[in-house]
Amino acid sequence: MASYLHPASLNEFQRYRQANAILGNTSRATSPDWYRQALDLGFQLHIRIDGTSISSFYHDHKNGTWEGGPTLTDEHLRNLPSLESLLPGILKYVRSFGAKSLGVVLHIADEFATAELSQAATSAESLEELRYAIHTSPSSILADSSIPADQASWRIMPYTSGRHGPVGTAICLSRQWDGFLCAFRTIGEEENFPVVTQALSAPLVALQGLGQVLHPTAERPFVAILQYPWFTAMAFFNEHANLVLIRSLQHRGLRRPTNFRHALTTTSASLELMDPDLYLAPLGQSVDQTLCADLKLTFPNQRVEEIRQADHADFPAWATEPLISTSAEESQTLQSNTFDALREQKWATQDFLPPISEAQEIYPVQGEMKMLRAFKLTRLALCALVLLTIIWASLQVIYIFNQPAWWFSPTEAASTKQKVARFTQEKKKIDYWDNMLADRSKAWISMESLVRLFPEGSGLQLKAYSYAAHPESTPGQAMTGFSKEWKITGLAKEEALEYLNTLNTREGIASHFDQIAKITGNEAYQTDLPTRSLIVNIRTSENPSFKTNSEADMQSKGDSSFPFTFDLTITQRFEGTDPMAINAAKAP
Amino acid sequence: MYKQPIIFFGLILPLLAAVALIGAVLYGKSEMEASFTEKSRLYSGFEMTRKTAMGLEKLVADKRPDLERWTESMSQQPSSEVTRQLRNISASLPAKELQLTASDTPSGTGLGALSAQKSSLQRMAFRGSFRTMQKAFLELETKMPQLQLQELKIEPSQNQSSLLNFQVTYTAWEN
Repeated sequence: MASYLHPASLNEFQRYRQANAILGNTSRATSPDWYRQALDLGFQLHIRIDGTSISSFYHDHKNGTWEGGPTLTDEHLRNLPSLESLLPGILKYVRSFGAKSLGVVLHIADEFATAELSQAATSAESLEELRYAIHTSPSSILADSSIPADQASWRIMPYTSGRHGPVGTAICLSRQWDGFLCAFRTIGEEENFPVVTQALSAPLVALQGLGQVLHPTAERPFVAILQYPWFTAMAFFNEHANLVLIRSLQHRGLRRPTNFRHALTTTSASLELMDPDLYLAPLGQSVDQTLCADLKLTFPNQRVEEIRQADHADFPAWATEPLISTSAEESQTLQSNTFDALREQKWATQDFLPPISEAQEIYPVQGEMKMLRAFKLTRLALCALVLLTIIWASLQVIYIFNQPAWWFSPTEAASTKQKVARFTQEKKKIDYWDNMLADRSKAWISMESLVRLFPEGSGLQLKAYSYAAHPESTPGQAMTGFSKEWKITGLAKEEALEYLNTLNTREGIASHFDQIAKITGNEAYQTDLPTRSLIVNIRTSENPSFKTNSEADMQSKGDSSFPFTFDLTITQRFEGTDPMAINAAKAP
Repeated sequence: MYKQPIIFFGLILPLLAAVALIGAVLYGKSEMEASFTEKSRLYSGFEMTRKTAMGLEKLVADKRPDLERWTESMSQQPSSEVTRQLRNISASLPAKELQLTASDTPSGTGLGALSAQKSSLQRMAFRGSFRTMQKAFLELETKMPQLQLQELKIEPSQNQSSLLNFQVTYTAWEN
């Protein structure tokens, strides 16, 4: 078992580490039983000590069943090593029932003492404040300041009669059973099995049990006499069944207190309880069985009865405190402020021997354990979130790494740009010379055009042919237009006039140019471009040397056989925007 | 006594660490994405340039032999190159139908008058048959594409009626 230190001796981080160690090594975060009252746990071990006998009972709280507990001797109670050898067997037995925890309830019936509260405490403070004060600083509210309050355990028992007087009394028990209960808690911590202890004052529990069995005379006060082997407790109730005083008388080695009758009488008288009923509860195997008869003789005018809890197969009639402490609230039959308060505010089941605060503070409280566990889950969620974020980012990174763009080097771009610049320059040069060397004006095509313009047998005879090309000024333009002009003179027979007339139209000459373009593949002869114009002019006139004398002459091919002369001028213009326009700039 | 350390070490510190870690991851990722976006932009530009370069390279490669041939041809003196080419051409054509009767290089730049590119005129006179001369011109203009016809005059020959007189002037682009 890990040993834990008190957090006050640790720095903040060490406290956190210790809390985490407790979280990891114990079930305190998952089992709420660590933080519950022993009487609230599902499986309980009740031990009753009355000085002459030790009784123990296992109680399955869920099923409401009881069975005999381990056999404990005075040796076990006084000698802790002896007890510690017994405890593993007890836990093993408890676990065999499937119990998740064990509540150890010690019913202390061998001692019971009361002390008066101080006047200031009685008048000034509420019961809750008194309850807290007696835990933390009992000497501050006890009437007798000389009592060594720190050496005993003190609890408040309130008087709820409403009459003028003390609001309650202080019940005192020694701490002799601290070690005994601590041994149970220690084995629980060692085995990580919730073992919660609770030390009850048996007379207070028995007092609560009166409410289940007592049927007092109406409008009559009564005194409950709780007979234990070593002491007798007397609880004085008024006519409304409200507790007005509780006190104890020690037997001091006898079977009953020596001044019992006197004490009973004087106390009743001082409380102004006239002829109260006397209910005697023998709560020990060896208590004085003759007391009831004696009281009947002593107080003949008063109702004297021996009361017993309802018979239970597993319990002797004198050891019913375990049964009372676990009984259902509904079983209460006697209604009064006292019994209501005992039941509802749990005055009867106050724990007289809780673990010392230093021992309790070693472990985080339930809220802190829950917080620790919740934060652990939160951290897991955060880790998952971080992990998912990293995975998501990694996938993005992998995607990016798989893109050629990521590995792209700007120097590569520079070399490519240089290549493009080089190729662009070269292309400019090529484009330039493509333009400059275009077939815009070629002799062989002009001659082909001439041949096809005047075919054999067309009745035409050429006399002269001239062709000239001229650039045309277009200032400020990158390209220069040009024009081509054909001048053809010749002779024509009458039948050729119609052909000449056809040529002398835009369509006629364009048709011829298109035909040349198609045959030669020369684009300069294309006429369907808007940047080009084609003008034709044919002038015909009579041939002054024409002779009409004989048919034989008509057959000859001499100039005189042609009745007409013609003068054909064709002008083709190319604008500066034409694809064949001449580049005005120098070669790049 | 455990509450404060539990809250601080159990929640606040891990929360801060997680926030810092997630923040660092997101920051790194955003930085990387920004870098990637910039690289992608450069890369897409590079890709476009590369494709352009490839297209240009193919275009230029296809045309480069022509350009080299043109450059070679234009680097020669136009008159001597014309003479050399005509000599070669006439060797395969009937000599009677292709007679160079005169040649000179008149001043002026012809079609290149308005261009900054250097050019010169080449004038020649032939006597020959129509078709033979057309073939000769076809070959000459094919082998010397820098020749642009400036003027062409065709007239019947006074002496030999079957032949024609040709006077041709070319604008020759020079490199």
